Amino acid sequence: MAPQDRLNDQRSGRTGGSTATLEIPVVKGPDDLLRVRDLSVSYGGHQVVTDVSFDLPRGHSLALIGESGSGKSTIARSVLRLLPAGVGRATGTIEVQGQDVLALPERHFRPLRGRTVGFVPQDPSASLNPVRTIGSQAREAAALLPGDLTKADRRRAVVDVLLRVGLDDPERVLASYPHQLSGGMLQRVLIGLAVLPQPALLVADEPTSALDVTIQKRILDLLTDLRDSLDISLLLITHDLAIAAERADSVVVLKDGRVQEAGPTAQVSGAPTSDYARRLHADVPALNPDRYAGLRDVGAARRALSEDEEPKIVVRGVSKTFTVDRKQLTAVDDLSFAVPAGTTHAIVGESGSGKTTTIRLLLGLETPDTGEIIVAGERVDGRSHAQLRAVRRHLQFVYQNPFTSLDPTWKVERLVREPLDRFKIGTKDEQREEVRRAVDAVGLDHTLLGRRPDALSGGQRQRVAIARALVLKPDVIVLDEPTSALDVSVQADIVQVLLTLQADLGLTYVFVSHDLALVRQLAHTVSVVRRGKVVEEGTVAQIFDAPREDYTRVLLDSIPDATHGRREVEPSEKAS
Amino acid sequence: MAQTRSSTTVRKPDARLTRGARRTSSPYLVYALQRVAQAVAVVLLAYCFTFLVISVLPGDPVTNTLRNPENNFTEEEIARIVAYYGLDQPVHVQLWESLSRFLTGDLGVSLRSNLPVSRLIGEIIGSTLVLAVSALVVAVVLAFGIAYGTRNLPAPLARPLRAFPSLFLSVPNFVIGLLLINIFAFQLGLFQVIDSEGPAATFFAAVALGIPVSAQIAEVLIANLDHEARQEYAGFATSRGLSRSRLFWRHLLKPSSLPVVTVVALTVGELLGGALITETIFGRTGVGSLVQRSVTTQDLPVLQAVVVLAAITFVVVNLVVDLVYPLLDPRVDLRGATKRVRPVTEGASA
Repeated sequence: MAPQDRLNDQRSGRTGGSTATLEIPVVKGPDDLLRVRDLSVSYGGHQVVTDVSFDLPRGHSLALIGESGSGKSTIARSVLRLLPAGVGRATGTIEVQGQDVLALPERHFRPLRGRTVGFVPQDPSASLNPVRTIGSQAREAAALLPGDLTKADRRRAVVDVLLRVGLDDPERVLASYPHQLSGGMLQRVLIGLAVLPQPALLVADEPTSALDVTIQKRILDLLTDLRDSLDISLLLITHDLAIAAERADSVVVLKDGRVQEAGPTAQVSGAPTSDYARRLHADVPALNPDRYAGLRDVGAARRALSEDEEPKIVVRGVSKTFTVDRKQLTAVDDLSFAVPAGTTHAIVGESGSGKTTTIRLLLGLETPDTGEIIVAGERVDGRSHAQLRAVRRHLQFVYQNPFTSLDPTWKVERLVREPLDRFKIGTKDEQREEVRRAVDAVGLDHTLLGRRPDALSGGQRQRVAIARALVLKPDVIVLDEPTSALDVSVQADIVQVLLTLQADLGLTYVFVSHDLALVRQLAHTVSVVRRGKVVEEGTVAQIFDAPREDYTRVLLDSIPDATHGRREVEPSEKAS
Repeated sequence: MAQTRSSTTVRKPDARLTRGARRTSSPYLVYALQRVAQAVAVVLLAYCFTFLVISVLPGDPVTNTLRNPENNFTEEEIARIVAYYGLDQPVHVQLWESLSRFLTGDLGVSLRSNLPVSRLIGEIIGSTLVLAVSALVVAVVLAFGIAYGTRNLPAPLARPLRAFPSLFLSVPNFVIGLLLINIFAFQLGLFQVIDSEGPAATFFAAVALGIPVSAQIAEVLIANLDHEARQEYAGFATSRGLSRSRLFWRHLLKPSSLPVVTVVALTVGELLGGALITETIFGRTGVGSLVQRSVTTQDLPVLQAVVVLAAITFVVVNLVVDLVYPLLDPRVDLRGATKRVRPVTEGASA
């Protein structure tokens, strides 16, 4: 293709000049399906993407990775021309099969939508029209199929593609409304609809971030498989370096809308050269299982010492059944575990495993039907409200989402002080002292005390939440996915804070999570739960190195494994 | 709790699907019967309430008339007439008798004209209904037209169109009515003020009444269209190659219109109240003129009937909305909020 080559030369000449500050090794291919050059995007005058360039050869996959605010989704939306009308402005060039997407008028770009450029959105539950059946929305995708097909042909094509993405009963799926299907099924529908017209390029924007780990692995496997069997190029947007490392041929690392590093996956994830990529690499739990081993061992040593002592937390034979729709549903079934003082016990499970109910039982917010819960030598279950107050002084809780768990109208000082007020502890001066000590312990600056949550970052908010839990000097803190709403680098900060506090104060943690890689970094003992039952329990080493149960193995297998390179396909030799 | 539901990928959605299919049969019937029962109760309570309010108001028209020196009734005659109407009974007995008559369809007799109230109302209700329904049609058509324009016209036209609803809302409907009469009857001569019940006059009366109502509907509709257009599914649909107008018709319109159904029900009060004013301005005989006459002459049985009629209209419209809504919106869960199970997602963490 002569014109194509000429274009290549022109472009590469221009790139060298415009990004002089940063050497960007661009993956060169014989036939680049997608070429992005000097892409800058601004929203209402505010620049969010600056001079981004990369190439995606046919049949390859490229991951754009970065944290929130890195501009990765904005780039995806620019490629798809889905920037908010009138607000988003993109400059530079985005070429798909040699056509400049940004320069095309909408009526000329529209025929490319779906047929050439497919899109798998992020949130499966919001990406289909809630008041129309999936079948009626699938017909729109089927209308993009080329050729003179009958209605029945198109329908058969839809059914075939749904079977292909692993939906066993397509007819039923087609007759359903989106809210009648689970997240994993909906994500399969989205992928099915996107690949149905066989686009040359598939843009997947965090296609698994809303899903459980085992489902995540299946969806990623599906995308990888479709890419290979249908010869689709994949532009994968993700915040997870481990996923990128496992699934992509090449990686572009973004921060604040600028490319930090780009190149083949093995290079970027194996030996990152830019500071940011290196830091990101260090912060991803799956890539650094032993990062906090030193800090954690302080707790482990304490555990060894306290082997004969009474454990800090004892949960014995606890069951809880709810009545839903006149049906008995057992949320927690004969759950038992014990946590020695000063250690971290992780409860790991997917949605529906009973994690939330376990937390509520531990905190005394629900009463177990059978069994007993003892924290620091005192029974939690079966207590009156007033008696529970006494227990709660040394049993504190940190919520999952710091964006919703702090009253937005209160200042940090008052938020952290509130538990002291509730328990009427100390004089005003003593309270101020305690608040400052708690805020220091989590590494927050005193200047933030006068701010409201809106003026804080996600990491700062979660520190406030931890300080709030700390201020009563509790023995036990229950942590409900405390980092799942945060970026990886912020997550690393919070984990560091938690482990330092544990080492210094001898706190006992119950850490509830679905993220096994994270659990491996910070926990001492683990209970793997499924459908309210403990599947397996043991020390971190036992669970991660020698799992006995199949389910544990499935969970472990769904941790992205960067060392494998591209999974289930031959690695990068294919490119050369 | 949600997470205890059996979680095999295949079986779980099946359970939900069968529940979806059952929606139109038994839960819907239970729901419909509950709503109908509630509606009947509201009408009866409205009747009792009106009756009691009227009975505690000072100035009993019967006594006023009988005690009027010009009428020259003897005490004996007065007592006989009062006894005849049951006015010497305690209030709760009077209420009970009045209510029993109401349940058999007997609304009493007008004090002024001695005609049955039901006949008086029957004569004029048609005219008011025609006006109110045409006004509603005008309002809905106008509102959807404005909303369509804001999304599908070029920006220089669409933007000013967004100001229309607040403009409509800020002008009282009697002003609109007078303007319409002035322009279309006096200046253009499109209809005769004398022939106030003719189709042309009815149309303009309906426009006067419908414009402020259309503003409320249009505001909700525009806001909802903007909201739906920002949803991820709109982007996903666009990425499948749908044109702007197909996106509007096939995706945005239905979810945006659902709340409009509720708004329409809420504007019934406005339509009724506005109808009385509009009828006066356009010189139409209708419920408006009847109410006016009854208030000035303290014709209590007629007033009571009109109030109950208004209550019934409200209740019926809201009942229809309640019954239709679950059929329009597949997400509505009829088994009540307390028993509701959050839609279980295979994915969402905790």
